[in-house]
Amino acid sequence: MSIARFSPFELVLLQSRSQVDTATLLLLAWVLVNRQPITEGQRRRRLAQVTAPFRHGHDIDPVMEIAQRQDLQAIQLASEVLRKECSQERSLSIMHQAITLATDDGTLSLANHYILRFLADLLGVVPETLSTLFKELTGEALKAPEDISTEAYWKRHDPQYYERKAQEAAEKEQAQARAEEAERQQQAQHQEREQEKQRRRQEREEHAKAKRERAQQEKARRRQQKQQDSQQRQRDDQRHQQRHQHHEKRYQQYKPRPQSPPDRTSRALAVLGLTQGANRSDIRRAYRRMAQLHHPDRFFSESEQQVALASARFQRIKNAYDYLMQTYR
Amino acid sequence: MRDLYQRLALPPHATPQELQSAIAACQHSALKQDAEAVLAIPERREVYDSTHTTVSDIGRLRARLGLTHAAHWQGNVANDFSLPPDNAISRHDELVDRVSHAVTLYNRWWRFRGTWLFVATFGIGTCAGLAAGFALCMRLWAA
Repeated sequence: MSIARFSPFELVLLQSRSQVDTATLLLLAWVLVNRQPITEGQRRRRLAQVTAPFRHGHDIDPVMEIAQRQDLQAIQLASEVLRKECSQERSLSIMHQAITLATDDGTLSLANHYILRFLADLLGVVPETLSTLFKELTGEALKAPEDISTEAYWKRHDPQYYERKAQEAAEKEQAQARAEEAERQQQAQHQEREQEKQRRRQEREEHAKAKRERAQQEKARRRQQKQQDSQQRQRDDQRHQQRHQHHEKRYQQYKPRPQSPPDRTSRALAVLGLTQGANRSDIRRAYRRMAQLHHPDRFFSESEQQVALASARFQRIKNAYDYLMQTYR
Repeated sequence: MRDLYQRLALPPHATPQELQSAIAACQHSALKQDAEAVLAIPERREVYDSTHTTVSDIGRLRARLGLTHAAHWQGNVANDFSLPPDNAISRHDELVDRVSHAVTLYNRWWRFRGTWLFVATFGIGTCAGLAAGFALCMRLWAA
């Protein structure tokens, strides 16, 4: 194994007097970076204020810079340090600090909704504790994050756009109505002229018709004779054709459907943490591992709710495995 | 929050043209309506993209830390943003390994410092002696 160069955060962490404090510093800086309308200096001052009792013993500027870049590897390292070396009381106090930093201006940004929940999961803070803590600190209940990917969200948050759209549509409709009115008038004039023409044409045609009818009656009698002969032959042909068409129709019905959506198999594989193309032994191994990790008996000592959550997770994993074992290859 | 890009089978950096054609080809009417409202308007797409980046980062972190089945990671977000765990080694373990490797090397140098110095001095002395002897020989032979 070669000694590659240490990344900036690794250096900071190695020089720090308390690794937990440095890791906390980075995660809090991450929360601050995702709180939108404040300046660089404000962020720095706020972070220094909150982390005054920390014993890390180095400058906070490099950490701030790393958080600004949202360096995923550094954040992962910090999370691992926290998870390894953080006691229960300490994790509550970190959660406390994170909530304070995220909600200084009264609102919680969408990104921070997810970051706070990630921190809670990382530090083993259960949802009830988190919501109680949040309520105590901000005086409001912790709501579920709004779904930015729906039209309803934008209808609530950007009503001007829809007003403008409606106005434009109304104007267009008016213009169209005016155009239609003009067209209708033109058509009416046109029709009058047409009617005049037609009347004259009909008069002429009636004369010609009488003559033609007499000639046609003669012809039709002769044609009937011929048709009776040929009908017998045509009936035979038709029967052949019908049978052929029937076959074709059936063939078309059984064609495979052109495109299948990302199906249940790939979802089941994702539940087991596998990608497309895993074989049966992989699936079995992944299932054993996941089952050991998420078995409800492991959470027996923690709480009712943990056990219930674990059994839901376990059920999901087991369903995925059963499904794969039945259908996969 | 759903991952509209994943649901439209597009990469997150798709061009507006690709996006338009994907939306037009989409069969799911509700998804189509949402994608039109969110992604087809540049300002909203910008907002959506920044949140999307953060949430996918968190999804990746959760996959690496084994938090994909946690209490705060449920519903649409968990469905769309959970990644399969990659086999990346734990960052902390890697750091510890590297530091301990460096420490071993450093310790080894200090332990065998005397020996190394002796060998080096002896080598240099021998070389110097040989050179001097050779020079003397040449001079005698010339005379």
